[in-house]
Amino acid sequence: MISWWKGAALALAAVAGLAAPPASATDIELFFPVPVDGALARNMAGLIKEFNDSHPDIKTTPVFTGSYDDTLLKTRAAIKAGKPPAAVIMSANFLTDLAIEREITPMDDLIAKEGKSQDAFMGRFFPALLPNAVIDRKVYGVPFHNSTPLLYINADHFKEAGLDPDKPPRSWAELHDAARKLTRREGDRTTRWGLMMPSNYDYGGWILEALTMSNGGRYYNEEYGGEVYYDTPTMLGALTFWSDLVHKAKVHPAGEQKGPAVTGAFLAGQASMMIISTGSLTFIRDTAKFPFRVAFVPMNVRQAVPIGGASLVQPAGLSEEKRAAGWTLIQWLTSPETSGWWSRATGYFAPNKAAYDLPEMKAFLEKNPDAKIAVDQLANAKPWFATYRTVPVRKAIEDELQAVLAGKRQPKEALAAAQKAADALMRPYVEDTALRLPGAE
Amino acid sequence: MTHALPTTQAALAAEPPAAQVRRRPGARLLLPLALLCPSLVFLALFTYWPVVEVLWDATHQVTRRGTRFVGLDNFASLFADPTFRRALLNNALYAIGTVGPSLVLALAFALALNGAGRVRALLRAVFFLPVMIPLVAAAALFLFLFLPGIGLIDHHLARLGLSGANWLGDPDLALAAITVLTVWKNAGYYMLFILAGLQAIPDEAREAALLDGAGPWQRLRYVTLPALRPTFAFVGVIALLNAVTQVDHVFVLTKGGPSDATKLLLFYIYEQAAERYDAGRAAAATVVTLGLLAALTALSLGRSQGPEAAR
Amino acid sequence: MSAPTSPLAGPVTREVTPRLARLLVAGLALVWAVPFWWMLVAAFRPAGSGADASLLPSLAPSLANFAEAWASADFPLYFVNSLVICAGILAVQLVTASLAGYVFARLEFPGRGFLFGLFLVQLMLVPVVLLVPNLKTIAALGLYDTLPGVMAPYCATAFGTFLMRQSFREVPRELEDAALIDGAGWWARIRLIYLPLTKPALVAFSIVSVTSHWNEFLWPLMVINSPDRRPLTLGLASFTLSAEGMQAWGLIAAGTFLVSLPLLAAFLIFQRRFVNSFLASGIK
Repeated sequence: MISWWKGAALALAAVAGLAAPPASATDIELFFPVPVDGALARNMAGLIKEFNDSHPDIKTTPVFTGSYDDTLLKTRAAIKAGKPPAAVIMSANFLTDLAIEREITPMDDLIAKEGKSQDAFMGRFFPALLPNAVIDRKVYGVPFHNSTPLLYINADHFKEAGLDPDKPPRSWAELHDAARKLTRREGDRTTRWGLMMPSNYDYGGWILEALTMSNGGRYYNEEYGGEVYYDTPTMLGALTFWSDLVHKAKVHPAGEQKGPAVTGAFLAGQASMMIISTGSLTFIRDTAKFPFRVAFVPMNVRQAVPIGGASLVQPAGLSEEKRAAGWTLIQWLTSPETSGWWSRATGYFAPNKAAYDLPEMKAFLEKNPDAKIAVDQLANAKPWFATYRTVPVRKAIEDELQAVLAGKRQPKEALAAAQKAADALMRPYVEDTALRLPGAE
Repeated sequence: MTHALPTTQAALAAEPPAAQVRRRPGARLLLPLALLCPSLVFLALFTYWPVVEVLWDATHQVTRRGTRFVGLDNFASLFADPTFRRALLNNALYAIGTVGPSLVLALAFALALNGAGRVRALLRAVFFLPVMIPLVAAAALFLFLFLPGIGLIDHHLARLGLSGANWLGDPDLALAAITVLTVWKNAGYYMLFILAGLQAIPDEAREAALLDGAGPWQRLRYVTLPALRPTFAFVGVIALLNAVTQVDHVFVLTKGGPSDATKLLLFYIYEQAAERYDAGRAAAATVVTLGLLAALTALSLGRSQGPEAAR
Repeated sequence: MSAPTSPLAGPVTREVTPRLARLLVAGLALVWAVPFWWMLVAAFRPAGSGADASLLPSLAPSLANFAEAWASADFPLYFVNSLVICAGILAVQLVTASLAGYVFARLEFPGRGFLFGLFLVQLMLVPVVLLVPNLKTIAALGLYDTLPGVMAPYCATAFGTFLMRQSFREVPRELEDAALIDGAGWWARIRLIYLPLTKPALVAFSIVSVTSHWNEFLWPLMVINSPDRRPLTLGLASFTLSAEGMQAWGLIAAGTFLVSLPLLAAFLIFQRRFVNSFLASGIK
């Protein structure tokens, strides 16, 4: 009987040993999400190894923190616990919320130390990315990898249906028409969907934003974190279009579709077209066993899409030493060379424009014209939905979107409900800012 | 998975005088308290204190301008939140959907597999295996089973010429899908207790029924089921508790969606606290959940003598 | 699993209904086995064969998925973390539960009933429901993102205390009295008399405790942030998420298999002991 007491003591000793972190020069952590398809986690490990090898005074540990939403949760938890990571690859639309809550710090002093002006520093990136990174004229994030939604089409299916794969749909009417021709049925059963778009949390809001913007909409107030425009004609048109594809034309499956399920269906030949992130481009290219093409997101009123992707941010509460080490990492990760390599490995476009002047990037685009289309679409790109409490405000519309796609709600009432829920969520901020008036207290 | 619901009747009843440890009178209280101390420290930190904290949080509101006492406002806004009401309803449906079928299946398994024999032992093991894997592991497997179009279920339905469904993506089906996973995971666990209950039924009762010419249904109705009543009461409460405290699969499979269709109470609490920073509402929801658990436990104390059958 | 058979357990009469029911249950067993069967088949299928949904085993089984899973996630480390968490919790629980169990079984003092009731409250206030305030406490204690932080809320166990109290009470009092006369202190009495005589209860409690904490997910999810401190369940969830994006279902199957294997193997080897422990967890 003595034995288990001894075992207990041993176990306790082991626990105590594990609890103490090992000490060394500058240990920093980089939180990174895996938002889309592909072996990103492995690529990231390789990238960080390269950084550590070339910077012996810094030891970076890459920490895979799940989806974009999970990464936000994990980062906030770490900040609360007083153990913030030195850098986080954060979904670009969370920066506004984090800045409002003062959970991330502006980088202007670090930029000034480099002897650069804010304009010179941020001018290196595509202009569409700036509104999600520069908030109140302060730089809160450095764009790391970015994306836009893209239309992917199965070229074989197009030919089979008598469509020209080199002329993908450009308007909603053409998209609707193509989807109709591409859908295959056996009796009541649909064996192939004309079009699929993901509608899970995070992805659904982004795709709906793309449709709304293509319909002339603004979606949210880019200048102020307390307003979203859910209950508007542009959004009603977008949601109704999606809903009709499902319930009227029956060319899009009903119910919530997860991103991986959409990619899976496309790769299995069960969906002929899909609108998903450019970030999946490399994965699709490597996996598809059939010829495919990509194209701009079809438009109704104008060509416009939101950006997606992530920026590097630094949480509040870092020691000077860690902040400096994190800044070194951030600069290395956003250099043209690293940025370009990551872009080729994933399909995200490189936010640093200089990456496209590098010879290896030129050669790559030559060989993969689809990647060039993703970059070209940037000309139409707008900032990404960002407010106070971005995630719940976004889920407010996503829950309604999922209900509409499942046939449980009509678009009109869904948007009214989403607007109401979103307004309630943002009320504390609104009352503290736009509605905080002189003489009221 | 494992819950202890001891027969508190026995526990709370007056006890026979314990051995008087013959010591000086002052030491009479010292020794017990010293020995209880380690437990009490942990209980104070992680059971009593959090209750105090939750009650404090539930009656206060943290705004951007500070913290203030708000009485029952958090509860009012909690019950005004359609998502919370949905979570309550979901949890009730989920509880009914998991407890009922699990118990019926567990009874069927136990009746069919009670007794010796290799085949029976093998089948009992088959039903019990899901109990031994983590709920997240079960969810990882069902992720592919439920995948629309190309997943295991839809693929094989298509081969039979049947339409599949978007199991986790359809708000009408998602909760049912989660329920199926839970039944698969837990029925074997409950089967165990019912098997033990069956063993405890005296042979004479069955023999007498047989001699009276009772058919299998009559024997089940008049002999087996009445004898199993305490077992059912006990297992039912365990199953109900599981329906409130086990939500790991929701994290992996649906994150509470689509359209709140799989939002269960504990997930709601997690979301309010971790995602919305609404400590007051999270605390109020915790209080409500604890109230429900307390009611369930009280129910179990009142109803069951404990499954002495399981002895 | 095989419980002792009563003489009448076998079918005495040849009735149709029970036979049909047995057939039905056998059919259900097949259904029950499908997820496991798929896991095995998919895990051992060569990667990239495209036949993810097939239930026919591959003719050329391959370990490629396992190699890939092994390389993509640090399963050995997760395994050690799970082991440390379970062993740590169990070690402390055995101490706290046997001490408290002894007190409630054999010591007489004012307020005993009240204190015992206070203990039993924990049966209702399941730690996982209190995860929000408990997380604050853990952070305040500086235990956030540490393995002891995962263990701490489970260190006191009302269930264990209850179980030990019941077992201790069945130990003949004369043995302790004899030891008292020999001048043995409380520690010696517990260690030399009570614990050796209640080994079955200790084993039962250990199995139940380890199983439930091995499979736990939500609380470690809240406490642990660093990947090198993740237990198996967290490791699997994060692994699943990244592999789902790759449509690598064979990989997920292999990872799930690796994570489930230790307890499944332990169960298959020590079936009877497991079953009896689970039963003991519910009774008395």
